[in-house]
Amino acid sequence: MPFKGKAETFNASIATLDIGTGEKTIRLGGQNVLPLYAFDASMENPPRVGVEISDEGLEGYTPKLLEYYAGASDVVSIAKKAAAMEGADFVCLRLDSADPNGKNTSIEDCVKLAKEVCAAIDKPLTIMGSRNVEKDGALFEKLAEALQGENVLLLSAREEDYKKVGASGLAYNQKVGAESAVDINLAKQLNVLLTQLGVAPKNIGMNLGSAAAGYGFEYVASTMERVKSAALSQNDTMLQMPVITPVALETWAVKESIVSESEVPEWGDMEERAIHMETVTAMACLASGSDAVILRHPVSVSKISALIGALL
Amino acid sequence: MGKFITIGERIHCISPSIREAMNNRNPEPILKRAKAQLDAGADYLDVNIGPAESTGEELMKWAVKLLQSNFDNVPLCLDTANRKAIEAGISVYNRSKGKPIVNSADAGDRIENIDLAAANDAICIALCSKSGVPADNDERMAYCQELLERGMSLGMEETDLWFDPLFLVIKGMQDKQKDVLEAIKMFSDMGLNSTGGLSNVSNGMPKEIRPIMDSAMVAMAMQNGLTSAIVNPCDRRLMETIKSCDIIKDNCLYADSYLEI
Repeated sequence: MPFKGKAETFNASIATLDIGTGEKTIRLGGQNVLPLYAFDASMENPPRVGVEISDEGLEGYTPKLLEYYAGASDVVSIAKKAAAMEGADFVCLRLDSADPNGKNTSIEDCVKLAKEVCAAIDKPLTIMGSRNVEKDGALFEKLAEALQGENVLLLSAREEDYKKVGASGLAYNQKVGAESAVDINLAKQLNVLLTQLGVAPKNIGMNLGSAAAGYGFEYVASTMERVKSAALSQNDTMLQMPVITPVALETWAVKESIVSESEVPEWGDMEERAIHMETVTAMACLASGSDAVILRHPVSVSKISALIGALL
Repeated sequence: MGKFITIGERIHCISPSIREAMNNRNPEPILKRAKAQLDAGADYLDVNIGPAESTGEELMKWAVKLLQSNFDNVPLCLDTANRKAIEAGISVYNRSKGKPIVNSADAGDRIENIDLAAANDAICIALCSKSGVPADNDERMAYCQELLERGMSLGMEETDLWFDPLFLVIKGMQDKQKDVLEAIKMFSDMGLNSTGGLSNVSNGMPKEIRPIMDSAMVAMAMQNGLTSAIVNPCDRRLMETIKSCDIIKDNCLYADSYLEI
């Protein structure tokens, strides 16, 4: 008897999330199949690749990264080059310097920079805060206000500051990222809380948290799988929001990516390792359920983008 | 497994205000009850127009359109002995939020309601009785088999037959409760869906006791595999019990606010 494949599609689907406006809009989600199961039904919108840049410039960047960004003397020109990267779908501006325990850049300066970056690039913008709860609450409010009409994604609203960040997104019509750290129940709870605050589900994206491959990634994978399974097979509307995973944030901090070749000669070139860590982790995230990944290195960005293209 | 499906029972012509509203085509009392049930978490709404022999078709059409246009195509359970009225209701029914449910067929006079459901791609509540209460589970399961075979021979998906074990009143038939639970287990073991008029178990009990008894029954029935029930969704204790059982059964992912969604 000939084999007859049965497509595994669901009656429910992942919600869509639009970031950016006009021609530079990207849409995440929409599929009614498991991650990358394009052989069962169309993914509707392919997973997207974002490029992260920091307001601290090229500090700590590796040689090939510096080469790529050569000539970019300020954050705005760095952003332009990031947006022009082969395979880049959007840009993620990290406002690291806003951290009160670091440079403590003023909110006004952060807002000014974000506006300049947004105006300079032809791709949608997502913005990551300082990771300081108090600063971020005030920072996101001003960012959301200043970038009205740009439909940016604010990364992120967490359990500690979801009220302020959610209210900012709601008031100025921006997208809100709900961030939890590999905690499936909290992931759902945050979406419930944001929705109760008045943020429409279609304006929420989830950052479920991540880990570099080899650093407890199995928890990330099982969390993402459980979220997608609840979203699709149980039609759980509080888990149908697309998943955006800042991969670079994790992978560029582990020893494989930062210990120099002179210290561990047998590991080989440090930058190569860092690219491997980033690429492998990103691919694992996409296979587990990420609808977008945020990366740093041009090699990783083009590889992942090409891989998505080849799979779909 | 998906979440337990609650069918709100409060749009029923036995209620004087609803009967009056149906007779006079007065939307307000019906919309008010529909909203209260949906706010309380009902998935489906039952629309019981009674026998409605003369005006049933027009009345059911009116009720279906009224409810679906006001509540985002809420899925409905069409409940009447008037077969033509059910067909009329389905003819104007919007399926975007779920198939219509025919309430109900049995193994006796109403067996042709299965044919009606099959012809209209509807879900059918299949009452496992012929005339009166089945004596035991052998009899119940024989009706189940008969109803199932009829539906499948007409091309229905077996999951579109929701078997009703016939919930029995505790005051009077206390010794039969274990049978009902066992029948639900047998449906579940066969991979079949089930539903029923749950609140029948507490019929005749004091008002303050009924939510407690109904909640205990639904929890035990859900453990045995009950997939749906026709209930009063405004019974908060009952709805909280159902939501909690859905969590324990892993039908729905836990979040701290699970009772609020």
